[in-house]
Amino acid sequence: MNCQERTRLDCLRILNGREEALEQLRQSELVVVGGTGFVGTWIAEIAAALNDEYKFGIKLFLMSRSTDQFANRLPHLANRADIHLIKSDVRQLGLFPMDADWVIHAAANPDIRTHASNPLDTASVIVEGTMSVMRTAERLSRLRKLLYLSSGLVCGAQTASTNGMTENAQGAPAPEASFIYPNAKRFAEVLCAAARAQSRIPVLVARPFSFIGPYQPLDTPWAQTTFLSDALRGYPIRVLGDGQVVRSYLYGSDAAYWLLRILTAGESGDVVNVGSPAGVTLQNLAKEIAKNFNPSPNIMFNTAPRSNGRSAQLLPDTTHAQNEYGLSVYTPFDEAIKLTVQWHLMQAG
Amino acid sequence: MEYNHKIVISDPTLRDGNHAVGHQLSAEHIAAYCKAADAAGVEIVEVGHGNGLGASSLQLGESKTPDRVALEVARENLSKSKLGIHVIPGFATIERDLKPALALGVDVVRVAAHCSEADICERHISFSRSQGVEVWGCLMMSHMISPTLLLEQARKMESYGAEGVVFMDSAGHYLPENVRRRVETLVNGLSIEVGFHAHNNLGLAIANSIAAVESGATLLDGCARGFGAGAGNAQLEVLVAVLERLGYSTGIDLYKILDAADLAEQILMKEIPSIRSISVVSGMAGVFSGFIKPVTRIAKEFDVDPRDVFFELGRRKIVAGQEDIILEVAKELALRATKEGQ
Repeated sequence: MNCQERTRLDCLRILNGREEALEQLRQSELVVVGGTGFVGTWIAEIAAALNDEYKFGIKLFLMSRSTDQFANRLPHLANRADIHLIKSDVRQLGLFPMDADWVIHAAANPDIRTHASNPLDTASVIVEGTMSVMRTAERLSRLRKLLYLSSGLVCGAQTASTNGMTENAQGAPAPEASFIYPNAKRFAEVLCAAARAQSRIPVLVARPFSFIGPYQPLDTPWAQTTFLSDALRGYPIRVLGDGQVVRSYLYGSDAAYWLLRILTAGESGDVVNVGSPAGVTLQNLAKEIAKNFNPSPNIMFNTAPRSNGRSAQLLPDTTHAQNEYGLSVYTPFDEAIKLTVQWHLMQAG
Repeated sequence: MEYNHKIVISDPTLRDGNHAVGHQLSAEHIAAYCKAADAAGVEIVEVGHGNGLGASSLQLGESKTPDRVALEVARENLSKSKLGIHVIPGFATIERDLKPALALGVDVVRVAAHCSEADICERHISFSRSQGVEVWGCLMMSHMISPTLLLEQARKMESYGAEGVVFMDSAGHYLPENVRRRVETLVNGLSIEVGFHAHNNLGLAIANSIAAVESGATLLDGCARGFGAGAGNAQLEVLVAVLERLGYSTGIDLYKILDAADLAEQILMKEIPSIRSISVVSGMAGVFSGFIKPVTRIAKEFDVDPRDVFFELGRRKIVAGQEDIILEVAKELALRATKEGQ
């Protein structure tokens, strides 16, 4: 099995018996703005599977500044007749497909290094980009719905509790440059609400938490990617701090299905968390990744772990997604890790 | 898996101490001190030119021992201790300096920048992190910005992949309360660890280091006999002893670190660092100790008081690399004195 067959199987596993829930996508045009990142790629995989296996006839447009890199990296998607790449900055959407039925706005740079070094540029892409998408959406006569991908961070830090963050949590990120990304995402949600109020744009919001899976670049400084990168290079897995920080991970094909389901079944104005409610400490994440390698890499903690270790967590409450959209985690955590490792090993040959 | 709650000691005797001897530490010096520090159980031993990897130059001072030799010798003589390097982007490049250093077995990379310029560390931190070594960020001359701004810069280093941030009192300017405020701000605002590097211009290096630990820092720098730039650093063997009295574990054998310090005094130092009058002034003015020699020389040339020069440099917030301003300040002071005399 090669990487493409692996990801196709992932999609078919998710779609099996659930494709009917996406029936509205048949013979429609879907535009993903910011469509060449992790989320856009998985949506392309799911759309391709729906077209090939279930004859959905979706016409998919992926808009991004990085279409050239996407075409080089993923020719099996880029060269398909039903997938169209449009090179464009989200802030200047001159070439937007005007017959779009559905729009997913996923444009933002999620790299925390960019947020730290270029906070104004980060905000510009998110805020001006969202304004640009909303202005474009005003002119789309066939638009049925627009889904904005916000962030699970817009409600600020999560207090240590056993429950996840609900969609109506009242917190907010601190008004500091270090938190430009969640603050800009939060303001972009307000822009969505304003566009709905002023121009009747049927827009709803998804708040992604942490994802994992093929297509996630390993040079990003997130726990799951750095641990995988360490293990794939044969290094010990280095855990920052005491390893007690809690995160949860939703597999790529699950995430894409969730987003398409929310896009098609959701009502304008809705806000839905997208992620896994099953928390895992970074220590256990490292152990689970290590388990999938032979020999299993050592796990190392920081040289100077703080004595008053923290129990920071970022977990979604997904009750709304479960009850209103019938969504759940289809790829359990251990399976998600196994599939991700397998894919990277296949890639490495 | 190993995990405990001790204070980690990083020992830059063979790096910061190089400032005190014009970067003239030899391979024999490095071998002997590494062996002693390793035997004492020092967690990290930092080696290199005073300004770090790749900094040997006519302008900054040429190293007697090239980086490659220094690292090879240190690696051969460190079995338990980790081998650390100080890296200032610009002096050290990834291809020319960092890659060969990692290939020689460096365990800990400390990427340093002026306190307000963490951005320049992104590539060096990310690269080192991707190579599986331990990476810390260092913010030098940290007294020059507020705790809030220091946190903003530290967060950048965290986002680039640093496992901890060390803020440096490069001018020996802090009082314990200044250190406490900064450590508390960093500890509350970061998810990674916080360390402190002291200088002894005001005789507060140990007190400031203890203030740091009591406020939540988990890594301290200390040099044998305080061997370092200007008035020297926190004196390592004293630091270990005080931490032991306060009930903190360092993993360091007291007798053996005392022996290492005796050895360092005997073989590394022309003179033991002391707090000279001019060092007190540079500490009060918040100016890098490396300015002492040029300030003294230029002040003499223009017949002005070097202490006045230091305080004026402090008011102008001058940093390393801006040595030309010394001349300007000395000229102005001389002119003023002439006018007042007329």
